[in-house]
Amino acid sequence: MVVSPLPILLCLPLVVISALIGMPMVKKLVQIREARHELKRNSTSYIMGVAGWSVIAFWLMATWFFATILGDWAATDDAAGAVDRSFTRLWVLLQIAAEVAAND
Amino acid sequence: MAEVVQSELSCPACGGQRHFDPAAGLLSCDSCGATEDLSSPWDGAAQQEHPVHGNTVPATERPAQSADTADVTHVQCQACGSQLTFVGLSLSERCGYCDGPVVRKDPDPTYAPMALIPFAIAQDAARLAQDQWIASRLFAPRDLPERVAEGTTRALYVPFWTIDAQEATTYWAKKTVRSGKNTRVENISGEQVFTFDDLLMPASPLVTPLIRDGILHEFEPARLRPYTAGYIAGFAAEQHAQTLADGLAANRKDRRLLIRNRIRKKYGWSGVHSITFNTDTSGVHYRRILLPVWITHYKDGRGVASKVVTCGIHGRTYGERPFSRRKVLAASMAVVVATVLFGLIWGAGAAL
Repeated sequence: MVVSPLPILLCLPLVVISALIGMPMVKKLVQIREARHELKRNSTSYIMGVAGWSVIAFWLMATWFFATILGDWAATDDAAGAVDRSFTRLWVLLQIAAEVAAND
Repeated sequence: MAEVVQSELSCPACGGQRHFDPAAGLLSCDSCGATEDLSSPWDGAAQQEHPVHGNTVPATERPAQSADTADVTHVQCQACGSQLTFVGLSLSERCGYCDGPVVRKDPDPTYAPMALIPFAIAQDAARLAQDQWIASRLFAPRDLPERVAEGTTRALYVPFWTIDAQEATTYWAKKTVRSGKNTRVENISGEQVFTFDDLLMPASPLVTPLIRDGILHEFEPARLRPYTAGYIAGFAAEQHAQTLADGLAANRKDRRLLIRNRIRKKYGWSGVHSITFNTDTSGVHYRRILLPVWITHYKDGRGVASKVVTCGIHGRTYGERPFSRRKVLAASMAVVVATVLFGLIWGAGAAL
């Protein structure tokens, strides 16, 4: 396996940016947990509290998707090929995202 | 000078001041410990609901005085003779000199609370519940327990509405159905009567709908008692500042969200969207009541005023809490690192 240092270095900004974007998601995760455990079931606050969880899934899917491109690039040393190959994953992810959004 | 109920609250045995003891559920003398049961054969009448005919809200269903005006009423403590000040719609205070309970006599006779549920949770139990709630907050600042401990805890009867309504609903929606690679959108429509019983609506900014749903999981009308000075003796109490029309309007927003939710539930949640509906509201009944809460006001690390509230009936606690940015960032970083590692391995393996 060929390991190119550039895609591995690019993981650093990916982690930093995604972690910053993820801060409201972590808060939302805690709020959902608190809503599920502490708010009256099927009350208005409960309904509003647990709604919007799909945004957490979108954040994780986007992070994972970019990481897979970097992993492919690192392994093959072929950035253009890695992007091309990612389109299949993107299509599958979009299908999952649509399903997730429909269930939120 | 407004009239107060105070001599009636004095102990008939020793003349001492009495307050309502939540643990015993009795009016208790601070001096000799004598107790009095406030229950009466007419307690059941407190459960009575009042109808709203058609869309006409009774003209009397509005406070004579607005909370915004923050009117000040001076009263004289009958125990020590000092002067007390009632601000706005406050119904009950403690004398700043002798600590005796002072309750206003009929501040707004047409708009006095119809009933209340007395305190059943004492301050120690409420503080313990609040400490436990604070200690169990994920990603909270380390100094949060100390900040809440420094806060002031008050016992307060908060104004609420209970509202019943029937909503004859005609609705339309769409449902996205997927089977394999095929996706189709179905049109849904129907009619249904949704019934709402004893929806609680806070009539004070001290209790937000979020806190209401955190502390009041059940409402038992059988616990309601007629509004009498003995139950609020020793506690702060606030009269309704909100008109019934405003209370109904606020509750209508809640009912619309619940209707939307029930329509989604009826069709299996998933894929149900674009819901529109018309409703015809009938059978509206209401009560203007006071419910007991323990409120601790505190300031978080950024100076934001927040509160933790414990239900004075069952002791359930909920409130406003800050997050520690550092802890949230660390948690986010941990999740992202795990996700990126998973993605790198997946991409390197080129499984898909």
